[in-house]
Amino acid sequence: MQLPVLNEAPAAKSGCSASSCGTTENQMDALPDSIREKVQNHPCYSEDAHHYFARMHVAVAPACNIQCHYCNRKYDCANESRPGVVSELLTPDQAVKKTMAVAATIPQMTVLGIAGPGDPLANPERTFETFRRLSEEAPDIKLCVSTNGLALPDAVEELSKHNIDHVTITINCVDPEIGAKIYPWIYWNNRRIKGKKAAKILIDQQQKGLEMLIAKGILVKVNSVMIPGVNDQHLAEVSRVVKSKGAFLHNVMPLIAEAEHGTFYGVMGQRGPTHDELQDLQDACSGDMNMMRHCRQCRADAVGLLGEDRGDEFTLDKIEEMEIDYQAAMEKRKVIHQAIQVEMDSKRLEKAEKSMQFKAEPKLSTRPVLMAVATSGQGVINVHFGHAKEFLIYEASPDGVRFISHRKADQYCGGDSTCGDGESVLQRTVRTLEGCEAVLCSKVGYEPWELLENAGIMPNGEHAMEPIEEAVMAVYKEMAAAGKLDAQPEAARASA
Amino acid sequence: MAVKIIETCVNCFACAPVCPSKAIYEAKPHFLVNANKCTECEGDYPVYQCASICPIEGAILNSLGEAVNPPGSLTGIPPEKMAEAMAELQSH
Repeated sequence: MQLPVLNEAPAAKSGCSASSCGTTENQMDALPDSIREKVQNHPCYSEDAHHYFARMHVAVAPACNIQCHYCNRKYDCANESRPGVVSELLTPDQAVKKTMAVAATIPQMTVLGIAGPGDPLANPERTFETFRRLSEEAPDIKLCVSTNGLALPDAVEELSKHNIDHVTITINCVDPEIGAKIYPWIYWNNRRIKGKKAAKILIDQQQKGLEMLIAKGILVKVNSVMIPGVNDQHLAEVSRVVKSKGAFLHNVMPLIAEAEHGTFYGVMGQRGPTHDELQDLQDACSGDMNMMRHCRQCRADAVGLLGEDRGDEFTLDKIEEMEIDYQAAMEKRKVIHQAIQVEMDSKRLEKAEKSMQFKAEPKLSTRPVLMAVATSGQGVINVHFGHAKEFLIYEASPDGVRFISHRKADQYCGGDSTCGDGESVLQRTVRTLEGCEAVLCSKVGYEPWELLENAGIMPNGEHAMEPIEEAVMAVYKEMAAAGKLDAQPEAARASA
Repeated sequence: MAVKIIETCVNCFACAPVCPSKAIYEAKPHFLVNANKCTECEGDYPVYQCASICPIEGAILNSLGEAVNPPGSLTGIPPEKMAEAMAELQSH
């Protein structure tokens, strides 16, 4: 399989190349039609689909066959939102029931993933029983699975039987020296193996599994956790290797490490990357590969659009009481999916036209600017500043607008010196937007307005319900016209 | 001669399928070992299978009542460092 290179690598962090001009080039535009068809309504794989379609994970896979330094198997907290954390373990039967209940209630839900809380392929019976039943009973739901790769080669045959066309492998390194600093042990051939030897076995299995999946025509996305000082310098190489073997998408995610999580990295004080470091690495890798920037690092039992979690509506006792007529639900889902597709297609067309117009305009020579946007989906600005659980970060430059990342409004408290007890939620949210020079929301209240202005972030409530990219570009042009883009901003970048 | 699973078990299911004697079973509040069935893997493997995959330090005891995986042996976190971090968190 030939991997298309999405040529959106900007020169350093300062801009973007010609291919993402006007408005953000659809992240998937560079893919061949056969792949695009498979991923265009998958919220985790398609940046524009994630504004419309929802996903869910079922936590049927508790066991794991390796230990990662960013994971703590004791953890189980309803208020935590990160991979590996779940509230309720499900049997395959409960998982099937829950999936159908969610699909009937949230028709935009197109994708069911098994991602843990352990490793799905270290629980083959539970995982495959769930897949087998869902492919029979709910054939309109896409199935996918996420794995550390250790047991992958042995599972490829079975995976291909269940009509799973997407697999995610977490690959943090291709060098055992580095792997030994990430994985303290693996369980392999009836023994616990540690150190470089363990890392080498894991890496070999991951690469073999990747090759086998590609040979079977199964799409592979690669996840990597960026760990500053451990694998940050190495991930461009990982990107190059997995791309050369046929992975279609690379998702570099920031390490989440806090002492209260009780993980090795958390307790030992290993820091996660800054927003800038993550963006720089994603940019560096994007020259080699189609990069994913909208990942929300969701829980292994998340339900809903990316960034939201409606899991509470589908607890075991609640789904017990639901009567689901899946045939009827499927009819309804089909109609809704078609309508969304029509809307997405027209938006894509509109974007392309806007992009053409933009290219015809005289080019600005101003510096790029980061802006934050509050949205709950549909690709428009539609959330009040105070209600935003997360912000999407866009970069506007003379080359156009491109999506950079998302930032959670309720950031994990780092417990560091800048995060004292006196800091309000609002102050924390404003700090989350460090590096941005404007924030676009449907409304901004008086108190945050002042705080934002003082932080050098221009609040803007004038583009409510407008398409994100157009609004960002409009604000950028206003800033340019007002002469704000000639000098470097005071608050931005350096402090981010 | 049997191993024992104690209350720090997190019910991750990993041990049950690797037990060569099918001695481990799901129970509340945590998994348990049927002492009549457990052979401590003798004749099958040189090391306890359950304790070789268990991710929780101290959750499995040998027949002498000792932790097969003592503190720090699996996570690599030195026990004093862990105690320090926990004390720090509790002082908040």
